[in-house]
Amino acid sequence: MTGGYRQQPGGAGPTTRKDGKRVAGKQAFPPPGSGGSDPVMKPRDLDFIPESVGGKEPQPAGSHIHDRARTGTTVGKEIPLVDSNAKVTGQAWYGDDVRLPNEIIGKILRSPHHYARIKSIDTTRVEALPGVIAVATGEDSPHRFGVLPVTKDEHAMAVEKVRHVGDLVACVAAIDEATAMAALNLFDIEWEILEPVFDPKKGLEDTDEPIHWRGKYHLARTNVQKRVFQEFGDRSLVETPHAESHGKWSMAGVHHGFTEPHAVVAHWDPNGRLQLYTPQQVPHYTHRALSTVLDVPMHQINVIRTFVGGGFGGKSDPFPHEMCAAMLSRKSGRPVRITFDREEVYWINRGRHPSHIEVKMSADEDARISGFDIDALIDGGGFASFGHVTSYYNGVLATAPYELGSFHYTGARVWTNKPASGAMRGHGAVNTRCAVEVGLDEMAETMQVDPIDLRLANLLPPHSRTITGFRITSNGMRQALEQVREGSNWDTKFRQLPLGKGIGIGCGFFISGSGLPIHWDPNRFPHATVHIQVDMDGGVTVHTGAADIGQGSTTAVAQVIAEVLALPIEMIHVRSHESDTSPVDLGSYSSRVTFMNANAAIRAALEIRDKILNAAWEILGYHPDNLVLNDRRIYYKHDPAIGVSYLKALHKAQEDKGSLIASGAYRSPPMGGVHKGAAAGLAPAYSFSSYVAEVDVDVETGIIRCTNVWAAHDCGKALNPLAVKGQIIGSCHMGLGQVLSEQMVYGRTGHLQNANLLDYKIPSVHEMPHVEPIIIESSDPEGPFGAKEAGEGPLLPILPAVVNAVYDAIGIRLRTLPLTPDVVFKGIERAIRKLKIDDPCDLPSPRLEHGPLQAKLVARATEHNVRDRARQRTEDTSPYVNGVLFGFDPNIPLEDQVEGWRTATEPDPEQLAALGLAGRAWLKKEQRQMGGEN
Amino acid sequence: MVGSEYVEMIPSPDKTIWSAEVNGSAVDVLAPSNAILLDVLRNQVGTLGVKRGCDLGTCGCCTVMIDGSPRLSCLCLAGQVQGTSIITVEGLSEGAHLAPIQSCFSKHGGSQCGFCTPGFLISAQALLNENDAPTHQEIACAIEGNLCRCTGYQQIIDSIQAAASIHRGETMPDAPASDPHPDPHPSGPEEPNMPPGHAR
Ligand code: FES
Ligand code: FES
Repeated sequence: MTGGYRQQPGGAGPTTRKDGKRVAGKQAFPPPGSGGSDPVMKPRDLDFIPESVGGKEPQPAGSHIHDRARTGTTVGKEIPLVDSNAKVTGQAWYGDDVRLPNEIIGKILRSPHHYARIKSIDTTRVEALPGVIAVATGEDSPHRFGVLPVTKDEHAMAVEKVRHVGDLVACVAAIDEATAMAALNLFDIEWEILEPVFDPKKGLEDTDEPIHWRGKYHLARTNVQKRVFQEFGDRSLVETPHAESHGKWSMAGVHHGFTEPHAVVAHWDPNGRLQLYTPQQVPHYTHRALSTVLDVPMHQINVIRTFVGGGFGGKSDPFPHEMCAAMLSRKSGRPVRITFDREEVYWINRGRHPSHIEVKMSADEDARISGFDIDALIDGGGFASFGHVTSYYNGVLATAPYELGSFHYTGARVWTNKPASGAMRGHGAVNTRCAVEVGLDEMAETMQVDPIDLRLANLLPPHSRTITGFRITSNGMRQALEQVREGSNWDTKFRQLPLGKGIGIGCGFFISGSGLPIHWDPNRFPHATVHIQVDMDGGVTVHTGAADIGQGSTTAVAQVIAEVLALPIEMIHVRSHESDTSPVDLGSYSSRVTFMNANAAIRAALEIRDKILNAAWEILGYHPDNLVLNDRRIYYKHDPAIGVSYLKALHKAQEDKGSLIASGAYRSPPMGGVHKGAAAGLAPAYSFSSYVAEVDVDVETGIIRCTNVWAAHDCGKALNPLAVKGQIIGSCHMGLGQVLSEQMVYGRTGHLQNANLLDYKIPSVHEMPHVEPIIIESSDPEGPFGAKEAGEGPLLPILPAVVNAVYDAIGIRLRTLPLTPDVVFKGIERAIRKLKIDDPCDLPSPRLEHGPLQAKLVARATEHNVRDRARQRTEDTSPYVNGVLFGFDPNIPLEDQVEGWRTATEPDPEQLAALGLAGRAWLKKEQRQMGGEN
Repeated sequence: MVGSEYVEMIPSPDKTIWSAEVNGSAVDVLAPSNAILLDVLRNQVGTLGVKRGCDLGTCGCCTVMIDGSPRLSCLCLAGQVQGTSIITVEGLSEGAHLAPIQSCFSKHGGSQCGFCTPGFLISAQALLNENDAPTHQEIACAIEGNLCRCTGYQQIIDSIQAAASIHRGETMPDAPASDPHPDPHPSGPEEPNMPPGHAR
């Protein structure tokens, strides 16, 4: 031991008992020599150190590779968000809070027409207005951009046509807001009005003037942006159903409703570099798009992410107003600030797609789900946005967690002359999930079984493969179902409550990070990179591009690093705002941040830890395997008195370079099938959730009140249970809005009628039920300390849970969302007319008499429970693929075992006639097949 | 703004001196006589903690305390509150020490993205000033005008209840740990320099 010290226990701290005697073996070891006002090393928090490495934290789901990096410092503890003090003091700076010296104000001229060609724009009068400093129109940038490289169909401002009311036409910057507003009135524009399309069904037909034109890939002359066909499995199973469910849904579009309206500040600095401040979830896409649109290399642009006042997917596209601000700033040489008013927020939209969904399901005599057909026609509005992906997600994310005999999906996304739809929390999975879960409920009713048991007996186990080829790793679905059943006293309530009171179940399944980065090949470039730098004073600076949008990603990254290095979280400083200083990161979408960034951060932190431990080895003479890292001190495992302070070891490690730097990266393992669209929905892990909701329905008015929700979500490992619970409750709130009150209302003339927060009804505190968040920890083998996503998945189950509960309450299946009182009341009226009763209070409540299948299901579920537990704890590592429940051998390709097993991504000609609404898109041919334009 | 039809603008209003007490200090600014309080606070007084979420009185992000009662500053002409005492979120903390309501929001998850937080803090503080033992229902009524899209309100209510119990003196506020800048100074006491292998 050179330079270390042997320390007698009991230097300071509480070394005596109340009765004055010394406490044996429980002494504090001062001084740790580094870190904060507390000079005493905290004891190891064994409650937060896993059993497998000698702690007391139970691990029902088995051990994890990151266990040995656990130090009991922060992971698993409820800690406040690291930036919350800035938020509660009003010091957090959001988009509109960036005030640069000499700024001018930009305003955007928006289209008053649904669909029109711009014949000319005359800006002379605008430029002549005193106080106007710069003007820009579509002519200033002809370059297209879009969030997905395959569908770039946006311009900074309309180049040829405007595609919806509110589409950007021109912009102006002036000395103050009033002047800029006045200037907007002075544009002289000649329009040629075109025939707009609002109904997505019409979008499937040929028109004279499709909203966009994709050349040889354009589908005839329709407005179809994307069509999808997928078929897996054995269709013969569907022919002899034992029970069936068939539902046609119509779901309104909803908006994210984040509280912060979009805002941007652009400053073209004297060195010719663009500094762009924007509340973005995905600063990197904006960075790329800016570079294209402005024709400036990326390194000449610095995108600075401000605090983001809520995103939920609505701030993840590169936005045209960001380009506008940059252009105005380039022209004027002054910083330009553009802030949206609430109405403009709805014009830019990117909310959930208005959808027409048809779901047909069937079950065989063993209550196995043999048929699973989805048809989803989604209304994309004026631009593609994320729609290409949404078109797939509507189908492929609905299959799991169930084992299916066959899966058939047709989807189409059409352009209409409305504000563009895009990605919103639960991207693409929410609407079909609702339809599917309600379908299951209906089948359970026909088969006279409990819907929870029906689900429990049809779940895919952990470490298995779904019908579309997704690799499922950890899977806490079963526990989630069991816990909500228990928590809600399901068995004493379901189908037993009086009229007007109901209880319902719903499940969810969501990706935790998308397996393919949009912009590059994962084999050549990782998904996420994190840099860590430790200075002489021991502070740790972390550079990451992860965008904290309120979900707490900064906190998660800080937490995992604090955990590995056993440092107080106050010593970790995360720098994530500027693209100049952070490594490239794809941003906050697809629930990827915790999984991918925290994984990268752990890797970087482990590298730092190894260097520090090696230094401690040199000082103490004990091999790192025998050293323990704890609160700012490193000591010999078998004699805690022998140790060295973190700072001292650090200085030793820094002797060569003066600072300690490490970089960590994460890339997802290779996975997925080879069929077209196989990459959509692939993720390194999936989250599972299950909710039970209780509702009160007033049969005389149709008003629904959700009173209680038991919400179980499998997030792998709750890095910060406080934040996870916050996400679960917040998701409930957002989903409840969609199922009960929120909708974007387009009137008969196609005009958006409720572009404000008064008429767009987000639940207030009074509409919020009591939510009981239940965290399920299935310890994902690849997640950071076992964690998976918790931000989007928890939204899915609330919709079907409420819809099913409403059925339980009044015995009426409603398939129009949101379930506003008028929708419910119409349903009630229809029902009482059909039943020939006068008073809605006489409506019969549904009751359940268990049929013969029930016992069979319970037995199967019990059997599967044992199977799942063994697989979860990797006691059983045999392969399992969707189909085993139907008697297939998982070791042989299914196609080789049964003749009818099929995988197809295009319909057979004879199937065409039978396809649903969206399937009709397959009746059309692409231009290149028609010998048209090439 | 949608549309390009010409709308005659109101002629520029006169500017007058607007004075009030904002967060304890007297403020005098030159503002147009029709100025909205929210604009004056954000653009002229510089209290950017007051947020603009809608400008229509529908979100509550702009809530400030005027002579002790919470008001929406976007629906309030500056001239109407001439000479009053205004408290914004910046005025809640005492120097660097957070008010109980602030530290509770931080500790109990009352703030996620944080954009709605200033409004909630003011509404909640106004409630606590009058009633330090509010029921769930009373809290709900106090914050019904505030919209939060992230938290689903539950943890906000928890936070307010925790703050109420501090106000009642039932729980102690977390001491320095909840300061805006908890002391993370890493260079603690010196490491003793012991010859190797020797006990201290
Ligand atoms: S900005 Fe005042 S209530 Fe929304
Ligand atoms: S914390 Fe984001 S809106 Fe309330």
